[in-house]
Amino acid sequence: MKVDKSTGSGMAKIHIEEDGSYFQVRQDGGTQKLEKAKISLGDCLACSGCVTSAETVLITQQSHEELRKILDANKTAAPSQQRLVVVSVSPQSRASLAARFQLTPTDTAKKLTAFFKKIGVHYVFDTAFSRNFSLLESQREFVQRFRGQASSTQTLPVLTSACPGWICYAEKTHGSFLVPHLSTARSPQQVMGSLVKDFFAQQQHLTPDRIYHVTVMPCYDKKLEASRPDFFSQEHQTRDVDCVVTTGEVFKLLEEEGVSLSELEPAPLDSLCNGASAQEPTSHRGGGSGGYLEHVFRHAARELFGIHVDEVTYRPLRNKDFQEVTLEKEGRILLHFAAAYGFRNIQNLVQKLKRGRCPYHYVEVMACPAGCLNGGGQLKGPSTTSKELLQHVQMLYDTVTVQVPEDAPGVQELYEHWLQGEGSERAGRLLHTSYRAVEMASSGLSIRWRPEVPRGPRTSPWAQVCDQCSLYCLETQVRPRPVGSLRQSESGIPPPHSWSHPCQTGGEPSGPGRQGTLAREECAAHSTPRWGWRTCPTWNWALKTPWSLGPDSLHFCAVPGRKQALLERPREIRC
Amino acid sequence: MKDSLVLLARVPAHPDSRCWFLAWNPAGTLLASCGGDRRVRIWGTEGESWICKSVLSEGHQRTVRKVAWSPCGNYLASASFDATTCIWKKNQDDFECVTTLEGHENEVKSVAWAPSGNLLATCSRDKSVWVWEVDEEDEYECVSVLNSHTQDVKHVVWHPSQELLASASYDDTVKLYREEEDDWVCYATLEGHESTVWSLAFDPSGQRLASCSDDRTVRIWRQYLPDNEQGVACSGSDPSWKCICTLSGFHSRTIYDVAWCQLTGALATACGDDAIRVFEEDPSSDPQQPTFSLTAHLPQAHSQDVNCVAWNPKEQGLLASCSDDGEVAFWKYQRPEGI
Repeated sequence: MKVDKSTGSGMAKIHIEEDGSYFQVRQDGGTQKLEKAKISLGDCLACSGCVTSAETVLITQQSHEELRKILDANKTAAPSQQRLVVVSVSPQSRASLAARFQLTPTDTAKKLTAFFKKIGVHYVFDTAFSRNFSLLESQREFVQRFRGQASSTQTLPVLTSACPGWICYAEKTHGSFLVPHLSTARSPQQVMGSLVKDFFAQQQHLTPDRIYHVTVMPCYDKKLEASRPDFFSQEHQTRDVDCVVTTGEVFKLLEEEGVSLSELEPAPLDSLCNGASAQEPTSHRGGGSGGYLEHVFRHAARELFGIHVDEVTYRPLRNKDFQEVTLEKEGRILLHFAAAYGFRNIQNLVQKLKRGRCPYHYVEVMACPAGCLNGGGQLKGPSTTSKELLQHVQMLYDTVTVQVPEDAPGVQELYEHWLQGEGSERAGRLLHTSYRAVEMASSGLSIRWRPEVPRGPRTSPWAQVCDQCSLYCLETQVRPRPVGSLRQSESGIPPPHSWSHPCQTGGEPSGPGRQGTLAREECAAHSTPRWGWRTCPTWNWALKTPWSLGPDSLHFCAVPGRKQALLERPREIRC
Repeated sequence: MKDSLVLLARVPAHPDSRCWFLAWNPAGTLLASCGGDRRVRIWGTEGESWICKSVLSEGHQRTVRKVAWSPCGNYLASASFDATTCIWKKNQDDFECVTTLEGHENEVKSVAWAPSGNLLATCSRDKSVWVWEVDEEDEYECVSVLNSHTQDVKHVVWHPSQELLASASYDDTVKLYREEEDDWVCYATLEGHESTVWSLAFDPSGQRLASCSDDRTVRIWRQYLPDNEQGVACSGSDPSWKCICTLSGFHSRTIYDVAWCQLTGALATACGDDAIRVFEEDPSSDPQQPTFSLTAHLPQAHSQDVNCVAWNPKEQGLLASCSDDGEVAFWKYQRPEGI
């Protein structure tokens, strides 16, 4: 809708006809009918202030209740319809449970296995096994990219991609800039997905869709990772990971079953391949977020410069979530790596990158301060402070015996027999993935600017609004949000109009397609029903109807004939 | 009371748009104004009149909402609805944009420099407050992202002498932050206002904080340290803040800005009823329960909502104000006799 800027500043009045149409009354007495604003869903700014979108839905689709449903369905299904349920537990979740139940990680692993099998799960694995592959691929990838620096296709620094919270942010903001830097190695969760749905399925003589793969993770963002289209097999119509449950959800499961983990009899640990049948879980060096920096650093030092690094020395920079590691020889810096955890450090890293002032070759990026052990899905302590609890979880995590990925039993055999060699096409397909920049529906900066709003001291803010429900914000100069079609009742008082407002109002969430109603309030002065106004928390503007406004500003009353008398200078609602 | 506030000059600072904010430089010689025309203008005196010395355009793609001078007076920060904050460096009469702070998801509503000069705070409609640190090479790094508020954050202001940050929000609260170990934390929330808190101002000593709100009141808050004489309870080692005075009934509409004169202690307010008011504390009132009297009230200071009032830091009684009508006005305030 084209709105012409009115010239000059003069007092303009708005007159509302009985039929609800608006006329602007100019100073010279002439009238001009004001057009109705036409709004479409394209005007939605995707501010995600409302109950949105794919992400929330995705997260709620995966929960411990989903797992329950599958397990229950298994009990009553015919043998050919039953699914093989596999649960892969992350070392971080295990450490969190160990801290809560005062157990060693080994005992926790065994008792968790017992618990899951008790409720109908068939196999319980440890994602530390799949992490070996993730680390090995990361190591190899970095050396390749470092060596290929001369050719412009290889971009440094390499940024880790195991953290889905970071990936979501990277893809959405500065997507096209950051994506080329991301490591293509799959995260341990998704390598496990390949292992279970490809290798293990073959072993069990099942098609991948007959396996229900659950992972236990320390955060909710892993649910988003599992839902990525890249991890969905079109051929078998199944995801590599069907359901992600957080540590907290496992705790809920335990509570619902009335089971205390410490009281269970430990069960022997399962392993994916015979070569890896240890009775104790294993882990990796380099911290609670997988150890990417540590492993890639030591491997690169050896491969690229023939230097053997014993202890990796971390140097904290401005805060403990931003650390640096350097490999120096004769005063020259050969390798410059960093670990950046938490949003503020990610911000600084991205800004440095954008300005071309990033000195690092490799950065381990994690969205959560203190890393995965402090993930959003981990258990919160009932009595200890969160700092003490985190330290306890870290301590338990560190007690697990570490292994070098190259030497981990079963890994080399799988490379040979399952993947047909390192660097093979199969290895590339099953152990790597890709990312793409996401164009936000509209970020604040890419808003398509609306036609010029007539300025001037007395221009009514309702000039470009729906004739039933005025939604306008002058401060951000954005036009009204979609309100759907509205009918007028005979009495002239708007009916409780149904409307689809993508924004939250009056505390009632109303998502796209849902209906909400404005609350009715009595006009104190005239005791006539008027539509109360609510403030839209996203846009901070008052949802006004032509019949009312907030206290002591423009007040219309539904009583015919009184509207003119009450007209004051139109007050814009400032947000 | 009308004579206590006299108009000195009126300039059409931002024609055809609104003037949002004003900031005097620490020396009191220049006034920066910003507006809906996406520009920042620097004003200085030439003889008796105020002239525009520089125009900072090309910095922002949308309305510039606030400007702030660094304590040394060599830098100017401008916060804009385009989600960025520009840092301008002053080179005699020229200003050059040396860096742009990005990161906020949407409109940046306020920016403020810490008295030490190497910390900057910004706040935004994305409900967060960011603290930035600047090093010797003019490099800015984000030190902390604070997500304490539940709604749009309207204003941030630093304590005049301590490294303490205050923010005002649409969620009706004022929050205070300080540095703890290697991160910033919110250590106090001031509740009491019944609507959006639009602006904040510390008094010259830094012991009291004034907040103004859409609920048409100005509240004065005071900090009580643990083991204070007045017996105000504190939790642990955190100071406690109490509302010691509420100025209500003076304003008929939303109060958009409050400014506390660092020289005289007079309190000026900018109101949506187009008026400017000045309050002074009664000298005989109890410091724990002060009373303020209205010493100046100019009903038609501007032809539209007054958005900002700013006391000159060096010249006593010199007050600047700006409005939706795009004009900047300069006033001389004289405390009336017999108060």
